[in-house]
Amino acid sequence: MGVSSGFDRSALVWVGAALALVLLMALPLGWLASLSVSGEQGVTLDHYRAVFSDVALRKAVWNTLVLAFWVGLGSVALGAPLAWLTARTDVPGRGVIRSLVLASFVTPPFLGAFAWVMLAGPNAGLLNRVWRGVTGAEDALVNIFSMPGLIFVVTIYTFPYVYIMIANTLALIASDLEEAASILGAGRLAVALTVTLPMVLPALVSGFILAVLQALALFGSPAILSLPAGFHTITTQIWSFFHFPPKTEMAAAFSIPLLLATALLLLVQKRLLGRRGYAAIGGKGGQRRAIALGPWRWPAFAACLGVMACAIFLPYGILAKAALSRAWAQPLTADNFTLANFSFTFFEYSATRDAIVNTLELGVATATIGAGLVALLSYVTSRRLVRGHQFVGFLALTPVVIPGVVLAVALFIAYTRPPLVLYGTLTILFIAYLTKEMPTGYAQSDATFRAIPPELEDAGRILGAGRLRVLRDVTAPLARSGIIAAWCFIFIGVIRELSASIILFTPSTKVMSVVIFDLKEEGQFGAIAVLGLVMLALTFATVAIVQAVLGRDVLGVRE
Amino acid sequence: MPGVSLRGLTLKYGDLAAVESLSLEIQPGELVALLGPSGCGKTTTLRLVAGFLTPEAGEIWVGDRCLSSATSVVPPERRRMAMIFQSYALWPHMTVAQNVAYGLRFKAAMSRSERARRVTEMLQVVQLGGYEARYPGELSGGQQQRVAVARALVVEPEILLLDEPLSNLDANLREEMRFEIRRLHEAFNITTLYVTHDQAEAMVISDRIAVLEHGQVVQSGTADEIFGRPRTRFVAEFIGRTNLLDGVAATPDTIAVGRLRLRVAGEALTPGARVTVSVRPHAIALGEPVDHPGPDVNALRGKVKRVSFLGDSVDYEIALADSDVVLRVATPVGQRRKVGEAVGLTIDPAACITLGADGA
Repeated sequence: MGVSSGFDRSALVWVGAALALVLLMALPLGWLASLSVSGEQGVTLDHYRAVFSDVALRKAVWNTLVLAFWVGLGSVALGAPLAWLTARTDVPGRGVIRSLVLASFVTPPFLGAFAWVMLAGPNAGLLNRVWRGVTGAEDALVNIFSMPGLIFVVTIYTFPYVYIMIANTLALIASDLEEAASILGAGRLAVALTVTLPMVLPALVSGFILAVLQALALFGSPAILSLPAGFHTITTQIWSFFHFPPKTEMAAAFSIPLLLATALLLLVQKRLLGRRGYAAIGGKGGQRRAIALGPWRWPAFAACLGVMACAIFLPYGILAKAALSRAWAQPLTADNFTLANFSFTFFEYSATRDAIVNTLELGVATATIGAGLVALLSYVTSRRLVRGHQFVGFLALTPVVIPGVVLAVALFIAYTRPPLVLYGTLTILFIAYLTKEMPTGYAQSDATFRAIPPELEDAGRILGAGRLRVLRDVTAPLARSGIIAAWCFIFIGVIRELSASIILFTPSTKVMSVVIFDLKEEGQFGAIAVLGLVMLALTFATVAIVQAVLGRDVLGVRE
Repeated sequence: MPGVSLRGLTLKYGDLAAVESLSLEIQPGELVALLGPSGCGKTTTLRLVAGFLTPEAGEIWVGDRCLSSATSVVPPERRRMAMIFQSYALWPHMTVAQNVAYGLRFKAAMSRSERARRVTEMLQVVQLGGYEARYPGELSGGQQQRVAVARALVVEPEILLLDEPLSNLDANLREEMRFEIRRLHEAFNITTLYVTHDQAEAMVISDRIAVLEHGQVVQSGTADEIFGRPRTRFVAEFIGRTNLLDGVAATPDTIAVGRLRLRVAGEALTPGARVTVSVRPHAIALGEPVDHPGPDVNALRGKVKRVSFLGDSVDYEIALADSDVVLRVATPVGQRRKVGEAVGLTIDPAACITLGADGA
């Protein structure tokens, strides 16, 4: 393709990419597949047979399907109306609602699940105590330790995926497309059904699939809510295979179908999105006029706030209360007020202290190396510097199909044996995080470089600057904010990571999310709340940085 | 002041040849327009000259330096060229002065104050004095264009390359900038390659036009030559409007189109050969039908099929008698014919240009 003297460069990039590919993906996934079919006498399908003939395991698969389906449906039911209200109507406080959806988007789901244990646990849960106090009833109003409870908690932190898809699609549909139908005689309902709905349908289905994928891969919320309720999902089941004595073959055999299901769903979703382009046709210069809700303005606003109360206000409130209380279940009076939880978490209890340090170290290291790596990869691919650059980009995006638990099982199998024994080190967590966050970072970085026209670099070259000089004078200053954003996205992803960490940690390499999970077994709700607030503070500070450097909303960037 | 010599350049994208054995000589100080429709290879040619692309075959010479061949390419930064891009490619994070001064950073011998002086001077030349501290985003399209011109000229390049620099401007500004670029060329006299798909632009700006089709130069010459004596059907149709008549040579200087006979200019034809003739609408005169025309002109009869008044001329469609040929005729505003009126047409044989085959 007319690349000048590009061979040496290509070779270097390819060796690097190949090495990274082998270490991050090929080796782990290879071992995963091989272990799932290896028996004492060579290749066998016994593990698969064992997995799928076990009634309890089949039940876990069924539970997962039930969970994923209802979360998908629930997310559409919450996300689509909210997106429509904020994007196309005059509902009050659109900016606030949007910010709250963003807050729900970045809230670690397992923190939400913890908060909801405190809110709606059958005995001590705040809502249930209020209910008993008000009605004098004996029974709990709601029991969060149940399938409906689990679906509810997962949905309120998953619907932003649908929201983003729909809001971005609606933003592309100019009002004149709808007005064109109106002028031809279609009433409001007819316009909605024949024009608007068909145009957002691909985004709707695609959002549904994204939500289903999230629910499939989720570990934290099911572990917190379904185990006390006495049922497993696929991810918690895989995790329990690692309890002593570990049954890694079973874990592997159970992981492969999940991996394939994820890959398949993503493929379908990509197909759907690939055909989305028509929504934008004729969108040039088209204005979007807000639809007047009339008397429904305030009820609609109240409904939005209701959703946000479940996802943000109540959970954050109870976390704050627990962090500041001696006994979290008691009212926050002067007697009950304490800062002991903070001093305990930060200074007295070594596990939490170390975990905070480990998390920050891993977060900074992964984000820095990851941002550097995705910047290099996306520069190389967007400028077509090497042959087969499309393939490099494809590889960087591939890990998106690997659920965290599956990735962890694969890394565990690959790196507990020679030649590379990494289990028990922070390195194995670093590899897991780097792999898991690569697609997000790459997508952000790639968008950044694609937004910088190559002519800007060419103009420097022809005036006398070499390639590196142009990189320094032109490309770097223009890409800086985009790369900082990529750094932040990776950092946010790392500090909240639980599903891979829970399998790969050892006592000396615990991270915050794992400690939160452990502390729950010990009933240390105050310390959990403090750690959770620290995690949220770090997350929101990072989000604020992204918004500042990009000068726009994070939600608009993710898709 | 060197010229540029392109010798048998070839570059393929996959199976598709963007440029195929393209050869062109540009004299020192000459401004040559590369003219053609999109996909004809003109921008690829320019990027080959700039050194952004490597030819698969052929060579590019500037003076006595071979800058590009299939085996070695001098990188863009060492070619002593400057380029003006279609998008202007102004750096949004640099001020106007920083943009213009950028190329001077690589002239080692130049002092800081000398650079500043030249930048100020060049901004005066493009009528942007006082805009030094602005950012490109704060300028209008025309002003951005001028910054791009200043940035390219300030380095005193040996060769100047322009890639459709006016296509992002609105019609009035575009016309103004054509004259501006021509004026700057006459002032600086830099050997220039100018890529455009706009024939009027090429005619106003350039000393010579090279018409490109399928990655090859099909004809090069002055605007007069290209317009007056197009060599192929493609050139005749691409430059200006024309009537094309497909016929068969009847005698060495006559062709038959159906029952029509047309005397033509140019070389002797082989009777029986298939020939295409181009007649510009302006070269046809309308009058009263004549029964006995003189021997030296083509006289035809027809009926007015459609009349369009275009302000400074009148455009007719005339259906020729005894034929299914319809000719476009453009006349000065004056006596107006009506639809259905019988008219006589006279055409100077010298205006009937026979075209070579071009496969189109």
